[in-house]
Formats: sequence, C-alpha cells, structure tokens
Amino acid sequence: MMRPWRRAAVVAAGLAFLGAGLACSESPPAGPSAPGGERPLRILSLTPNITEILFAMGLGDRVVGRSTYCTYPPEALAVPAVGDTIHLSLEKIIRLEPTLAFLVARPEAVRHDATLARLESLGIRVVPLQADRMDEMLNAIRTLGRETREEEAAQALLDRIQGDLDRVRKQVAGLSRPRVLFVCPMSVGSSRVLVAGRGTFVDGLLDVAGAENVYPDEANWPTLSPQQVIALAPDVVIINAVGSNAPPDRVETIRQSWASLTGVPAVANGRVHILTEPYLTIPGPRVGQAAERLAEAIHPQRKEAPSP
Amino acid sequence: MIPRLFTARRYVLSILAWVGVWVGVATVSVVVGGKLWTWDSPAQLRNVLALRLEWVATAGVVGAALALAGLAFQALLRNPLADPYVLGVSGGAGLGFILASLFLSSLLAPAFGFLGALVTVGLVYAIAQRRGRLEPYTLLLTGVVANVFYGAAIMLVTALARPAERGDIALWMMGNIGAFGPQWVLIGVMAALVAAVGVLYAFLAKGFNLVAAGEETAGSLGVRVGRLRMTTFVSASLLTGAAVALAGPIGFVGLIVPHGLRIVLGPDHRRLVPASVFLGATFLVLADLAACLWEGASDRSLPVGVLTAMCGGPFFVYLLRTRWRRAAEVQ
Repeated sequence: MMRPWRRAAVVAAGLAFLGAGLACSESPPAGPSAPGGERPLRILSLTPNITEILFAMGLGDRVVGRSTYCTYPPEALAVPAVGDTIHLSLEKIIRLEPTLAFLVARPEAVRHDATLARLESLGIRVVPLQADRMDEMLNAIRTLGRETREEEAAQALLDRIQGDLDRVRKQVAGLSRPRVLFVCPMSVGSSRVLVAGRGTFVDGLLDVAGAENVYPDEANWPTLSPQQVIALAPDVVIINAVGSNAPPDRVETIRQSWASLTGVPAVANGRVHILTEPYLTIPGPRVGQAAERLAEAIHPQRKEAPSP
Repeated sequence: MIPRLFTARRYVLSILAWVGVWVGVATVSVVVGGKLWTWDSPAQLRNVLALRLEWVATAGVVGAALALAGLAFQALLRNPLADPYVLGVSGGAGLGFILASLFLSSLLAPAFGFLGALVTVGLVYAIAQRRGRLEPYTLLLTGVVANVFYGAAIMLVTALARPAERGDIALWMMGNIGAFGPQWVLIGVMAALVAAVGVLYAFLAKGFNLVAAGEETAGSLGVRVGRLRMTTFVSASLLTGAAVALAGPIGFVGLIVPHGLRIVLGPDHRRLVPASVFLGATFLVLADLAACLWEGASDRSLPVGVLTAMCGGPFFVYLLRTRWRRAAEVQ
C-alpha cells in the first residue's frame, strides 16, 4: 500500500502547484477604462439620501438606476431599481450602462471592497460617500456637485438647507432645552429600542430643534432595554415609527407599550410623541423639514417664524 | 468469463465524456442564464459574459468539491447519510469564516473556514466513536447537535453585529453563487484543490471500497485505515472549507450527487470518484441556472443554497427509509 500513496501524493501536489500557477496568471476580467469627461453622465445611486440629493440638485434626469430603498422623491420611482445593499443585480446594472455610481462608504462592512471592485470592473467610476452625519451630508453634497460638475446647483442646495436650519434655530432660540430621547422601535415582538446616540445625524437635528439628547455617549444607534430608558429619565420621547411600524395599529401598540413606563417623566407628563414621518432620520435635503417637525413636537409653545 | 469493466482506456474515455457533459451544461448555463441574445452593445455582452463565466466556474468548483467531500465522508464513516452539511462541517466552516471576516481580515477568512471544518470533523468523530467503532446513530446525532450549536453561535454573532452587517450575514448563510466580488484567484485555487483531491481520491478509491466492507476487513487486507481516515478527513475538510469560503454553506450536494451515482453506477469508488467531481459540478451549475432563471422571471433573487436544501431534505428522507436500514444492519 505504500507506493500508490506516495504516488498519489506526488501527483496531487503537482496538480495543485500547476493549478495554483494557472490561477495566479489568470487576471480578473478587465473592464473598459474609466470614463473620460466626454461620456454623457449616467448616474447609479445606491443610497436613498443621495438619490434625494441628486433630484433636489435637478439631476433627476441623469439618474439611470437606484436601489430599491430609494423611493423619494416620487419621480425616483420611475427610475429602474437594481436591488439593495445586500443583493445587487449586476445584469441590470450592466444594462443601464451607468458611468458614475454613488454609494455610502461602509469600509467596515464585509462586502464593501468587493462591491466597489465589482462595479469598477464594469467600467463605472465609483464614489463612496460618507453621509451619515449632518456635516458629512453637507460635504457629500459638495462632492456630488464636483463629481457631476454641477457645483452651482450644489451650492444652491446647501444655501437652502442652511436657511431652513437657521429658521428653526431662530424659532427655538432662548427656550429651555428639554432632555429628549429619540427612539426607533425595533421590529414586532421586541421590547428593546434603538436610540440616537451622540454624534448621529438625529443628534444634530435635536440640537437644531432646541433640545438636548438625553443619551450621553457617542454611539451609532445603540440598543436600549426599557430599564435603561427609565434610568435615562427623558423629559420628552420622540418615537419614529416608519416602515412596518407606521400603520395605525402598530402605532397604537407602540403607544400602549410606552404608557406602561410611568416612571419616565416624558410618559408621566404626556410628552411621548409618535411621529411617522420617514424623513426624520434621512440625512438629505429635507433636514430643515425634519428639524421643524421635531421643534413642533418638543416646543409646542414656540413662535412660528413665517416661511420664506 | 467476467468482462474487464475497469481498464485505463475506459477510465480515460469516461472522464472525457464527463468533461464533455460539464462543458455542455456550462455553455448552456452561460448562454441561457446570461440571456446572451438580449444585449444591446458589445460592451454589455462582454460584461455579462464575464459575469456568467465567473459564476458558472464558481458553481462548478463548489459543486465538485461538495460532492467529493460527501462521497469521502460516506465512504470513511460508512454512513449513507453523511454529508458536509448534515455533519455540521459546513456550519463549522461558516462560523470560522464569519468570525474571521468580521473580526480579522477577509483575506484570512478562507483559512479560518478550513480550520472550522477540520475542528468540526475531529470533534464529531471523537464524540461519535466508542472503542474505535463509529455508531451510525450517534454520528448523525452528533452532526445534528454540531449544526444546532453552530446555528446558535452564528445567530449570536448576527445579533451582536452592526445592523448593516446582519443582512449580509443572513444572505451569506443561505449559500449563494456570485454574491461576492470578483474572485477568480479563489476560483483558481479551488479548482486546483478539487483536481488535486480528485486525483488523490482516485488513488485511494480501492481503500474506500475495502473500508466500506468493514474496517477490520480492510485492515486485514493491508489498508492503513488510520492513515486513510486522517488523509481523507483533512482533505474533505479542506474542500468543504474552501467551498464555504467561495459560496457560503450550500447543503445536500454531497448527499444527492454521490447517491444518485451509486444508484446508476453501483458502489465501486473507482468509478464514483471521477463521476462525483463532474456530476457535482454539473448539478450545482444547473441549480445556479435555475436560481438565475427564477430571478429573471420574478425579479427576486433566490439563493442557490435554499434550492439545494429544499431538494435535499426530501432526498434525505428517502435515503433514511431505503439505505439506512442496510447500513445499520452492516454495523
């Protein structure tokens, strides 16, 4: 039995070596070279807030593909969807022949680099953007303007957003700043909640709307148990019920589950607000609207400045 | 006089026939799955062609690896229901892969997938054996327990992961062809591995045949059973780990393919080894084509692992009702 074993090992090792050599000499399929400035701009936008920004900049007619999550503005629905962050249909993307793709930079995500490499191999210029926080979002608008050569439209949008935010800041100037907890309920059946930590986009919005975030730490949407919520003792609770939480019966369920937390000042004083606006957590062109809606819930007594 | 069924010429011819079948099926899959006749520009056609080729190659090497691993486990454990997925080996590879890609680097992930597979084989084997004998019931139950444990561990990792990563992990766990980025290097390494282990098993096939008749018999006929077992387990774990690294845990290929072949070709491993490589490759390419056509028709992606598991479940029951009795009696 000795011989065949040895022979097998030698042949196997030889084949493995040969195969590995072949594999290394085989380069990945090279896509066409990166686009020059002359090709018409065909944009693939894989993130809802970026799609929204592009439409707000007047570039809607240049967007040829979107993710299934990009559903605002309504005109965006006319653009073909190519999948979501988990599964992109590469065949659909090839069909649309985009020249420029925008997606959110998630360098820590498992498949991030692979997705970038894949899109680049199709000859698409890929621009990962950070747009999770207020300042990042404003920077992203500048980047979008540069990449699409629409700097003026980008600046106009930035000015409009700053104007909106300043208007809300003026409304709440001088009012006391209650301690607010901003909550996203988790899916059905869980008593735990996601809350806006310091440094998130919503944290910035709360500041504009004249409130202090009751969650004390830098954190990206930590999960809290009811006990932790009671310990934080917020003056106001804002619950953002969107998606599967938005239907009236779900809202009612959420209201009842919070009513039992009578140890929380916000519950005792009837200052739990369930808001179903989907844009409160989207760092996009509607931040002014979002800040206004928060200010309305947090400071019902504020004097409304006339809209320009 | 008994005709000589097993000559070198027949062997080579049958392998060539298998290569022909695979190339044929792969070509059909590339053309049909990519709908190559519907593209407007040469650039689109080239891109889709490259994509389809890559996915068909992935499906081919993964299918071949899983079928080969299944065949080896069934032979060495003398258990018709052994399969990398059923024994928990895929789960171990999956856990190793996920942990490595979340907390270390995605480059190291395939190595940890292999490590997870190897540790699982060792554990399942050590737990299931009693006084040097493997009891079929204990073995399968150990596999079930390993699967449950790994399932729970992966759920724990998923629960602790960032929300953005949860979807990725969940989808990966279903077993997908072509969900990841360009990976020709990995496909090449995997193809070399499949070829090497295939040749290795072709030389070990006589040993498999003897062990299938009983370990004592094999030992008395000069087979070094311990060494054969070690070689086979390590190589089959390597195959499983690499397959999981490439496409996630895809189940039941290692069960359906070898048994389908046994029904047609009989129990001789000298014929089953090459046939498993190519039928495994063909099977998964076809499954991937079915998933691809489904996506084209319904606009929803169908993970190929879900498809194979849905075919494999009933097949497992069928084996349990037919082959199991005989295997248990042999013990």
